[in-house]
Amino acid sequence: MPILPRSALIVMLVVSCLCALLYGSLGTAKAMAVWNWMDIVGEGGTAVMSAIWALLILGSRPRGRVTSLLAGGLAAIMLGAWVDCLDEFFSIPQQQLWDNWLESLLTPGGMLALTAGLYHWRQEQWSLNEHMQKRERLFREHRSFDRITQLANADYLHRQLRMEQARQPDATCALILLDLDQFHRINREHGQREGDRLLQAVSHLLLLNMRPQDLICRYAGDRFAILLPATTAGQAAQIALHLQRALAGLAHHTRTGEHCLRITARSVWGVPGDDLEAFLAGLNARLEDDSPAMAAGLASA
Amino acid sequence: MLPCYQLHTRFIPARYQAALLLEYADAQDLSSQQVLAGSGLHEAALLSPDARLSPAEYLHLLHRINQLLPGAETALQLGQQLLPGQLGPISHALLQAPSLGHALDLLLRQQTWLSPLLAPHLMQLGDQTLLYWTDACISPRLRGFVVDMMMAAVTGMSRWLSGERLPWRYRFNRTRPASLEQYTVHLGSALQFDDCLNAMSIPTTWLAQAWPRGSQARMQLALDEASLLTAGGPRESLLAALYAHLSRQLRNTPCLEQASAAFATSPATFKRHLALHGTHFQAELDQVRTHVTLQLIHNQGYSNEQIAAWLGFHDATNFRRSFKRWTGLTPSVLRSRLLPGI
Repeated sequence: MPILPRSALIVMLVVSCLCALLYGSLGTAKAMAVWNWMDIVGEGGTAVMSAIWALLILGSRPRGRVTSLLAGGLAAIMLGAWVDCLDEFFSIPQQQLWDNWLESLLTPGGMLALTAGLYHWRQEQWSLNEHMQKRERLFREHRSFDRITQLANADYLHRQLRMEQARQPDATCALILLDLDQFHRINREHGQREGDRLLQAVSHLLLLNMRPQDLICRYAGDRFAILLPATTAGQAAQIALHLQRALAGLAHHTRTGEHCLRITARSVWGVPGDDLEAFLAGLNARLEDDSPAMAAGLASA
Repeated sequence: MLPCYQLHTRFIPARYQAALLLEYADAQDLSSQQVLAGSGLHEAALLSPDARLSPAEYLHLLHRINQLLPGAETALQLGQQLLPGQLGPISHALLQAPSLGHALDLLLRQQTWLSPLLAPHLMQLGDQTLLYWTDACISPRLRGFVVDMMMAAVTGMSRWLSGERLPWRYRFNRTRPASLEQYTVHLGSALQFDDCLNAMSIPTTWLAQAWPRGSQARMQLALDEASLLTAGGPRESLLAALYAHLSRQLRNTPCLEQASAAFATSPATFKRHLALHGTHFQAELDQVRTHVTLQLIHNQGYSNEQIAAWLGFHDATNFRRSFKRWTGLTPSVLRSRLLPGI
């Protein structure tokens, strides 16, 4: 079981002190006049920064092989730099070789471990990307992610739409806006937490029913936006209808198991033109026409 | 006249207003300690039945929530749960309101309890009814937040009790935010920014439409019960009382001396009270004049000359310049926005 940052910090401090003791007891202290300040700052700084990196990795990543390799490698580099730094304060008799070994083993060993960690991290990222597919496309912006549904927000959608148009000005892409009916009543009657749980369930269900190249965002509140690259308005209509059917089949059980909530959704779709803002405003206005008859999708290209 | 409440008057039932905030924070995985930090308030004391908050303390809690959960969504979501609320008979009466007209009337009459920070008012503009808010006890940095919260509250309540989305249109006295998605989804897409007041309007015919679960008799019963409870409390805020006073006195060239006399204090004390609320006499007077101008333009079709004469200005140019200073808009811009929806 890998270690927590605090215990990792303690371990690193203890080992560093042990090294210092080792040098202190086996070597002789150098006079302050011959200290090479440039080296001390450089090597000491490397040690401190490596330690910080190792702690950041341990603090931010889930435990596992990749984390251990990355943090272990950085810790070894830290010790290597520290030992180098101690060399500036103590002189070790020439006939003792252990300090040379320490110096020449720790840093390269740490670098090897770090490299292996980065290699595996790349592979890990591949499998995570697969998981993130449909939630993000082409670029990553962690600040755009909604805490509840783990979907990107409207800002991200705007940028994606602009990018999609810039990348393929000739291909049509389509957009679906999907709004849950009477969602406000669920918040009111079952509480906000239950409403959030339902939003999570809905986003999962939508994700499962989308094509791999599509992108889903939480537009705001209970409104979702689905970007469909290289899709015509007709195809978008079919997809929207399918998503609505999928939602109609959802049986959401409340946390207490007391109630089973059924939901329906309305959706509108269109093909964005040059004026994205007007396009989105138009889609939203059509969603608000509360008429029970399904809003007909119209291409605005 | 019953005493007016001010920034540090303790009268807001903490068990309702504060509990709602803590509950919302909890749903967002924030602890109550985080919300209460720096307020000097304690959760246990807050939730005791008799605990009362001052507007200043309530504002502090809202400020903390806004800090911890930045973004337009927070105010709008908080608002959605705010009305009819858990205020005993008052909320019960609201729940029984037989129509939007009754509900709004109740909101105005029980403003102290239902909307202690912003005072709601009604205004007829042509065939539209305008529900607009003026400051009761507010800090400038939170005005936008509380306006959003109250608009979402009325929107949510009328949607819930009527069973349908009502055709509200919204006007905001501030610059357009960078992204409107939250407003569009929570309120609707009829949004106007850079306006001269914070208001939501609806065709007046909607006010009389019967609400499915309403009952005038049951509402009256709850109201009678409510009047017993609210008898000892303050009736309105100092700023709201001043607004009413100025509206009545508008054509008698109101001044600070006259107003302070009406409130039975010295001009210096009155000035200090106003300063504590972040305002001054002239600003309050200009606000009333703005709102009256709006009505004269819409309902009477007055020209600038006629309005100038009505408000006691020297001439139309003078009035035009003043109006521009009050609102950042010229009267002609206001006229061009005369008919919303067209």
